[in-house]
Amino acid sequence: MEKLKKKIGSISFWKWVIASVIFRLILIYFPQNLNLSSRPEVSTPLTSFRRLAEGYWLKQSSMSPYAGSMYHGSPLLLLLLGPLTVKRIEGQPNHILYSLVSVIADLVSAMLIRATGQNLQLAYLRTLGSLDLVKQIEGSEIHPSGDVAALIYLCNPFTIVACVGLSTSPIENMAVILCLYGACSRLIPLAAFGWVIATHLSLYPAILIIPVIFLLGRGPDAPPWKLFLQRHQQNGMLNQSKLPPGFSWGPIIRFAFWSLVWSVYVLVLCGISLKQFGGLWEMFKSTYGFILTVEDLSPNIGVLWYFFAEVFEFFRSFFLIVFHVNILFMILPLAIRLHHRPCYLAFVYVAIFSMLKSYPSVGDSALYLGLLGWFVNEFSDMQFSLFLFCGYVGVSLLSPVMHNLWIWRGTGNANFYFATAMVYACLQIVLVVEGVSAMLNHERKLRRLITGKTQDSKSGLLSDSSP
Amino acid sequence: METFNNSKPVLVLLLLPCLLLYSLISFNSSSVEAAMHTNNWAVLVCTSRFWFNYRHMANTLSLYRTVKRLGIPDERIILMLADDMACNTRNKYPAQVFNNENHRLNLYGDNVEVDYRGYEVTVENFLRVLTGRHETAVPRSKRLLSDEGSHILLYMTGHGGDEFLKFQDSEELQSHDLADAVKQMKEKHRFKELLIMVDTCQAATLFNQLQSPGVLAIGSSMKGENSYSHHLDSDVGVSVVDRFTYYTLAFFERLNIYDNASLSSLFSSYNPSWLMSTAYYRKDLYKRNLEEVPVTNFFGSVMETIHTDAAYKALSRRNSGRFEAQMSLDSVHHAERRTLMKVNDQEETHDVNPEGNKQPLQGEEGASKCPWSTFCNKFRKGENVDSLVNYGLVTMIPLLVIPTWLVR
Repeated sequence: MEKLKKKIGSISFWKWVIASVIFRLILIYFPQNLNLSSRPEVSTPLTSFRRLAEGYWLKQSSMSPYAGSMYHGSPLLLLLLGPLTVKRIEGQPNHILYSLVSVIADLVSAMLIRATGQNLQLAYLRTLGSLDLVKQIEGSEIHPSGDVAALIYLCNPFTIVACVGLSTSPIENMAVILCLYGACSRLIPLAAFGWVIATHLSLYPAILIIPVIFLLGRGPDAPPWKLFLQRHQQNGMLNQSKLPPGFSWGPIIRFAFWSLVWSVYVLVLCGISLKQFGGLWEMFKSTYGFILTVEDLSPNIGVLWYFFAEVFEFFRSFFLIVFHVNILFMILPLAIRLHHRPCYLAFVYVAIFSMLKSYPSVGDSALYLGLLGWFVNEFSDMQFSLFLFCGYVGVSLLSPVMHNLWIWRGTGNANFYFATAMVYACLQIVLVVEGVSAMLNHERKLRRLITGKTQDSKSGLLSDSSP
Repeated sequence: METFNNSKPVLVLLLLPCLLLYSLISFNSSSVEAAMHTNNWAVLVCTSRFWFNYRHMANTLSLYRTVKRLGIPDERIILMLADDMACNTRNKYPAQVFNNENHRLNLYGDNVEVDYRGYEVTVENFLRVLTGRHETAVPRSKRLLSDEGSHILLYMTGHGGDEFLKFQDSEELQSHDLADAVKQMKEKHRFKELLIMVDTCQAATLFNQLQSPGVLAIGSSMKGENSYSHHLDSDVGVSVVDRFTYYTLAFFERLNIYDNASLSSLFSSYNPSWLMSTAYYRKDLYKRNLEEVPVTNFFGSVMETIHTDAAYKALSRRNSGRFEAQMSLDSVHHAERRTLMKVNDQEETHDVNPEGNKQPLQGEEGASKCPWSTFCNKFRKGENVDSLVNYGLVTMIPLLVIPTWLVR
């Protein structure tokens, strides 16, 4: 019965995958990609396709690709994707090759999410086994979190829009997911490569080094160490073999070595390709400097542009520091509280920096919504889930309307559009907060199960009511 | 106080090398003075708004057409038009601008590239264009990318008065501002020679304060005189051209791209009785004899084309283009035609000459046959940079896959 259910599950999974790929291909064939690449929610100064084409053209004319403050990405992307911006095939839509690259990137990311999710679920079942809680769990419904996460990522309208709208978000997301996959599967060169590329493309995934260190040192998500001690102490003996392994530094040192190798490699390549145009310093100024100093104040779905349009010059650096430290100061408390669940920590970090980065787009939120799928079992009783879902739908419908009212009809003003951006930020905050509290509730439930078991209480079944 | 006395000799000792350095730099810069004329730029500014100032727009567009006809490409023309007469609702001939009542010539064809339009034509933007001090996000098409070998034509028209020029009916450009901008340009080596042509009332007062060498200025009227429009087009309903520009165009329409007419013939072609004002030109800052300077030094751009069959590889400016231009000028010598070698320093270097007319590049001629040094030479020349980085990217893949597979 179980095997049949699994087989049906996997067939329907592949059906959904193929359906989403076909849907993307259909949308690509619409004229001019449905003008999605001009939407501010989709293309930001960092991910815009038009700017990539401009940077490539400047490079081909022997000028610095960063001239005129148009292109702000990596020179390696220029080399890889630049020729695709100009290649045209007869009878096909204009940017078919680039769209195909985005579709392939989405597909690869989905497969990697699925593999990591399966990894996580196996680890979860193993820890439950070592906690002797398997019988309780078998009765209730456990969804294959890998499949669910992969399907959420592929069929999410945000991902589809980011893919069809020709932004570079699919590739950045693929790098982040590659890093997490490598860390979960203990493939250290892959994890280091993913981390270095993700940081190189957009600065913020650098903070994912902390969950990666925890993943490599200890392994995938597990309930807190205390629970294991409680469990086995209550048995009267300390069975060493059933305890999870402690923190090991060997993989971390290897990870440091490999990330050093990859970063030197990437920096040398960038330095060579930009030798005539000012070298690495110019690149850092135009990419990381641009991200950190928020030079471009064109509207997007984030909250920084409105604020920095009205801040006085005197206070600008102060507020820049405040906004960036806003991300940084949340790293440490979350790491302390959730260090035993590094994949979940990675999800929370991704959600935080997707929300608070200088130029957010829907491609960034597609990433953390996909990673959310890994924890469907833990989030089964999250509060406000319907509210959040309706909120996301509402914001994604209202935001283009407000933009139209403001820019094209002139009957609205910037406040209309900024209001939807603020609502969007609030929704993301509620999602993160409720997510963390749902995870902590789940752990409390496990602890209650363990202490309840030793008291030989008959209410050992998982109850769905949260305290 | 004591410490100050003690530190005085130290300060003097520190000052001496600074002075030496400064004198060296100034010596060096003075030796760079003998730059060659390599390219021509034109900055054409119409500063007036409103329909009744149609003639100023027509002036500027006529000069734009002339300058393009004589060879300056759009990349080296900065056209600033303060208002849109062609698509003005009062224009009976939509998308057409004429400078003569016979309507023979439509100045606003399909090949007009306006760089600054409408409210972007301000004194601030004008001065930024001249001095080159833009914000980072200003595109290249809006910048004056001249260098020390450039000849620049600056033409301004609109309403003006004693030592000022009115912009957009709301602000003024004063003669001090203009002189200061030109001085900055000279210090930053942004031009070799500059011709300022102004068609407004009391135009000659606008360059009273100029002091930079290499500047030639001509205005349509002197202090106390007005500049008048030429004729009224009763069909369009407004005057369509000014007298000074009309006679300038009459002079230029007789020329083609290879003519040798000199600046003094241009300046002497202005008849005060026809202009109804005195066209005054200022040549005290300009060292050359006006009889010897052809008008196409400023109003046109004569280029020599070298036909080559091999692929043309554009390199960025590293070697001084002047040096290469001198070599090429010697090797391709035309006695009869006055030709100007155009080597655009900023973008292209004449690198390919398959018939063996190769320019010796900076003493790399006698390079050893050692492969490492040839590799280094090629690397420095920047030819194989892109392919090298491509190889690097491609080797990234096996470098990633193999250790991953081994660790598994």
